[in-house]
Amino acid sequence: MTSAERSLRAEFAKLDALVAVPRDDDGEFLVRELQRARARVRHVWPLPDRLPEDTDIIFCALEPGLPERIPWVPGEPKAALTVVVAPGAAPDLGLLVNSAPDAVLHRPITSNGVLVSLALARSHFTYDRRLRWRINKLDESLRGMRAVERAKEILMRTRQMCEEEAYRFIRGQAMRRRAPISVVAAAIVDSHDILS
Amino acid sequence: MAGLHSRDSEPWRVGVLFSRSGCTAVIEETQLRATLLALAEINDSGGINDREIVPVIYDPMSDPATFACHAKRLMVEDSITAIFGCYTSSSRKAVIPVVERLNGLLWYPTPYEGFEFSPNVIYTGPAPNQNSVALCRFLMERYGRRFYLIGSDYVYPRESNRIMRELVRNNGGEVCGETYLSLRAQHRDFVPVLGELKRLRPDVIFSTVVGDSTSSLYQSYIDAGLEPKVMPIGSLTTTEAEVRAMGADAAEGHVTAASYFQSVCTEQNSFFVARYKKRYGEDEPTNMCAEAAYFQVHIFAKALAQTDSLDTDTLRPVVLGTEFDAPQGKVCVNETYAHTDLWTRIGRVDSRGGFEIIEESCAQVNADPYLIGSGRALACS
Repeated sequence: MTSAERSLRAEFAKLDALVAVPRDDDGEFLVRELQRARARVRHVWPLPDRLPEDTDIIFCALEPGLPERIPWVPGEPKAALTVVVAPGAAPDLGLLVNSAPDAVLHRPITSNGVLVSLALARSHFTYDRRLRWRINKLDESLRGMRAVERAKEILMRTRQMCEEEAYRFIRGQAMRRRAPISVVAAAIVDSHDILS
Repeated sequence: MAGLHSRDSEPWRVGVLFSRSGCTAVIEETQLRATLLALAEINDSGGINDREIVPVIYDPMSDPATFACHAKRLMVEDSITAIFGCYTSSSRKAVIPVVERLNGLLWYPTPYEGFEFSPNVIYTGPAPNQNSVALCRFLMERYGRRFYLIGSDYVYPRESNRIMRELVRNNGGEVCGETYLSLRAQHRDFVPVLGELKRLRPDVIFSTVVGDSTSSLYQSYIDAGLEPKVMPIGSLTTTEAEVRAMGADAAEGHVTAASYFQSVCTEQNSFFVARYKKRYGEDEPTNMCAEAAYFQVHIFAKALAQTDSLDTDTLRPVVLGTEFDAPQGKVCVNETYAHTDLWTRIGRVDSRGGFEIIEESCAQVNADPYLIGSGRALACS
């Protein structure tokens, strides 16, 4: 076993999994296989109106209305999602895409299928989360820079400070309050907007 | 030492990506050496939780695409998550997508242009607020307000010069010229530039020339008969290693801003310099990039001892906020951006090729990679 695989196995053992598929042989098999991977498993069926979000991964039957039952807005997932697709009839691709799953598991369910979809869903979900985190950080930085520039303009205009004095003023306040400079700048902008 | 070599204690394996060939090998080689020195120190004192740390080392040959390939190889084939490496920003930018997708942790020990954040990188070299701002102020106060900007033609010099241009202009200075040369530029490529410098007579040359062509710039400067006392080259990347490569006579009198010089007076530094020279030779100087490469391994080890796991999601939160007594003084990995709070120093090359420290901050300067709090004014306090 490679160390990448060991670390994935260790991750599986820490997971809370939610299974929302019919309680038939296939469904029971899925629950057992997840337990074999040492995840803690909850099985719910019929599909609740709103899937619980206090879990790390959801295995859910691809059913009409699934997107409305997912407890987060698309693009802001709280858990990894694997949809379980039934054999036979052509799958509803629109429904699949709108559910925005991280992986797909085909019935009849096999051991390998469970492991593959578990690993893929978690890896995809955590990558997606890291990227969203990075983007939030970038947005926050841009807002901070904008706030400082605006606060500086306000101070220059209303207090007849030069650029450097305005800058020093904001920095000095931030140091005194032990607050991030962007927070102090935003406060200056807000109070100015209220007063004027 | 018990247990360190016992059969059941498998070593910790980490990746190391510094070039041993190509145009930035001179400086990257010192980062590799400092990394190996730190690893040896850790292993000599018993490893981490009785397990040795073993590096897997590849030579990316100063080529960004090769950096990316080797990063992938480390993570996929060698199952490694922690990678120490990268010098140029182009190489860092080539490695980041790989570590982000596969959830590795890149430790990057080099000054860079800022304006970056990645959940999969720990930055241990200075951002512009920790070197450019002080350098600009120093040069303007000592030498004058007319700057000429020269750099190698890739992302770091162009971005650093953009920041320097803003700093100069916002503080009443003027940029009278700007030029970029290939990373592989030779002596003859600098001749026309020196001609232009003699004609324009700026007060200061701000250089972001990196790698082997650094020697060509400083040597052409001497050949052109220019005088460092009146028109110095100010740099963020000319370290003891570049000075050694070009010869002290070519570099004497020029100025560099860095968080570390070999001449820093701390107990940790005497220890670091002595160990480095003992291992690599008396005439091998340390430098800022080597120092960051050295202390980042120790910070990594400190966190690993606590987590007992190399898993990025486990290790990274412990790294953030970690303080360490580095050769440059106490440093701290800043929690906001995973950059490091470092010292700011201005050094001038002396006749023996070392740096005389002319100015230093009174404490660590918090990393502010987006220049939110240290944007445009030169005030440092």
